[in-house]
Amino acid sequence: MADLKALEHPTLKVPYELLNKKFRAAQKNVDREAAHVHTSVSELEKCLKQSSTVGDVTKVLDGMVEKLTLLKRKAEESINDEQEAAKACKRRIEHLKEYENLPPGGVNQWKKKRLDRMLVEYCLRAGYYNTAVQLARHSGIENLTNIELFLVSKEVEESLGRGETMKCLNWCHDNKSRLRRMKSTLEFNLRQQEFIEYIRNNKRLEAVKHARKYFSNLDDAQMNDVQKVMGLLAYPPDTELAPYKILLDPDRWQALVSQFRQENFKLYQLSHHSVFSITLQAGLSALKTLQCYKEDGTSRNPNCPTCNKHMNQLAKDLPYAHCAQSRLICAISGQPLNENNPPMMLPNGHVYGQNSLVMMAAENDSRVVCPQTKEIFKFEEAEKVFVM
Amino acid sequence: MDACLAVERDIDKVISKFDEISTQTSNQLDDLLVYVNNIKKELEEQNCNDEVSAAQYLLLTEGIKKIKRTISQLSSDHKDLHGSVSKVGKSIDRHFISDFSSVLTDNDFHGPEKKPLINYVICEHFLRQGMLDIAEHLIKESNLQIEYEQKEPFLELHRILEALKVKDLQPALRWTHANREKLAQQNSSLEFKLHRLQFIELVRQGPNQQLTVLLYARNFEPFANSHAKELQVLMGTLLYLHQGLENSPYSYLLDPIHWLDICELFTRDACTLLGLSVESPLSVAIRAGCTALPPLLTIKQVMQQRQCTGVWNSKDELPIQSDLLKLIPQVEIDLGEECRFHSIFACPILRQQSNENNPPVRLVCGHVISKDALNKLANGNKVKCPYCPMEQSPAEARQIHF
Repeated sequence: MADLKALEHPTLKVPYELLNKKFRAAQKNVDREAAHVHTSVSELEKCLKQSSTVGDVTKVLDGMVEKLTLLKRKAEESINDEQEAAKACKRRIEHLKEYENLPPGGVNQWKKKRLDRMLVEYCLRAGYYNTAVQLARHSGIENLTNIELFLVSKEVEESLGRGETMKCLNWCHDNKSRLRRMKSTLEFNLRQQEFIEYIRNNKRLEAVKHARKYFSNLDDAQMNDVQKVMGLLAYPPDTELAPYKILLDPDRWQALVSQFRQENFKLYQLSHHSVFSITLQAGLSALKTLQCYKEDGTSRNPNCPTCNKHMNQLAKDLPYAHCAQSRLICAISGQPLNENNPPMMLPNGHVYGQNSLVMMAAENDSRVVCPQTKEIFKFEEAEKVFVM
Repeated sequence: MDACLAVERDIDKVISKFDEISTQTSNQLDDLLVYVNNIKKELEEQNCNDEVSAAQYLLLTEGIKKIKRTISQLSSDHKDLHGSVSKVGKSIDRHFISDFSSVLTDNDFHGPEKKPLINYVICEHFLRQGMLDIAEHLIKESNLQIEYEQKEPFLELHRILEALKVKDLQPALRWTHANREKLAQQNSSLEFKLHRLQFIELVRQGPNQQLTVLLYARNFEPFANSHAKELQVLMGTLLYLHQGLENSPYSYLLDPIHWLDICELFTRDACTLLGLSVESPLSVAIRAGCTALPPLLTIKQVMQQRQCTGVWNSKDELPIQSDLLKLIPQVEIDLGEECRFHSIFACPILRQQSNENNPPVRLVCGHVISKDALNKLANGNKVKCPYCPMEQSPAEARQIHF
């Protein structure tokens, strides 16, 4: 079960982060509504001190009932959200637990699902949202993948692509405290970009107002950036001067998109690369042998992934699997060569498994044909080889 | 598995605490609402211009205390859950490996050059699984250039297999007929087996199909030589046409397993004919990756503990066995027999993989070592086999091919 341990961290961590987020939101909601109740309580206290009439007191009590009802509703809603989030975690754990207790046939199905889960994640990261959603629906793994998380980020990314900062700023606001802890510069960069847009549209006065509002109390590193951006005020929007031209480059929006993406991953503790691509690299590397890359192509095996045309190119720069122990298979049957199927050498130096040669000889009047050179030999000419 | 159970325990704890707090909160607030409403009702019975009496004053101050207490209790009770919630996170971090991207040295696997390749491989995987619509979505979203000719073989195979699953042999028969020569080169008995299934189906339908059965038997003509024995068996079934095949010595021919076999056989032979692998290469590669990653991670952890990270910089070989073997002999990535596609010969003397410059050679006694090892062991024109007492001349050793 070591592969669960190695690969499934994001499967569990993302719903946990959601649960954690829901918990914090619930605490905030409860605290806020409780504070409202407290205010109406102090109102009542004040009322009592001033020796008021029964009518005044009932009015205050009315307000208090209202606040309490609101608190009750909010608390119930929030706790409900938390319960849902916790159950989502539980569902994932249960799916992982299945892996251990499956009947032999089930393991393959489970692994197929795992591949689909990886592919969904890959597609989401690559921005192929439609494919991801369809695939998840097809294999019934909507609950086991982080589609929702990515659909939210899709919206933000698209709005950034259109040159709008609203949604992304809202997102920053939602995750304010955590972003601050991560020392994120995303919000600052967004504000900077807004400033640049004012300049681009020649709204210099608004730009200055904007700067006054958002560029106060910054740290030293940001100060530098701000100075550069403020320099823009002195130049026309179509300036050809190098440092300012770069600032006005529309590609900066793309940079914001990718920064947002990275921060979002970090927030949910997703690693930089998808599980899919890491697993694929490890797998190709572990499968890669010198034979897959022999130039004449004679030793290619159509069943070997690294011999597949495209995978072969993919694995080109990956390291070869190292092997200090011989692992031999019969080139005819693909079965391993061992004491049950000892290797036999034909007079031309090619080695095959005894089982394949015996079978061929039985069908062919005790003659064997070397599949690689097409030479014909008598079976008796084959000699044993011993590989340690 | 312990990992899953440990995390599950923590999650269960959180869930039960949430359930608890959920009922507790609504009960307390309900009580509070009833309480306040009661006070209100009591007050409303009086004239609203009256002053608050001393008794009422006491009642109200008591109420204020109660509300304050309950509300702050509520909020702090919820806050106390934080411990249990964050325990889940810690438990996940402890039992699962959080950052494994550092296992592999960085390369341009994500570069613009590789991306279309990855997408192509994924698309091919979808086509293979018959997930045609999903493949189309991917092609559209990733701007993949795939010609119809590249898709066609997959589509056809998929159609034929679907038909076979519902016991429709016709598409498969048409396909084998069209590819008869190539299949013969492969020594494939696919076409014969398809006809055999069709024949048995006809025989099963009983005596009124007799003429059709006899006519169908003509299809076996091309197989007279290659499958003589099996043909005799098939013709033998005709004797039991009246009695019913299920009551004959041939009843085994009715076993539904033959239908499953034919699907498998068809996939295998058709893939070989088209130069495709039997299983999706992507599935195999990912499965290999899932096997290879855990030991790699273990190695990494040990290396970090021993602070010898320098070894990871060597880009040449995936550090599966070579140097690391000395550190932790129990780690060996064996992907299993089903992931072994090439023979690898490692010289038992030099502990090195053979290659074109250093091929394996067979000594006269039958033992195999590498050419370099032979040269090292040779003493003039004599060499003693390292595994048996036989002395021989190095010139007698023969290069072999696995």
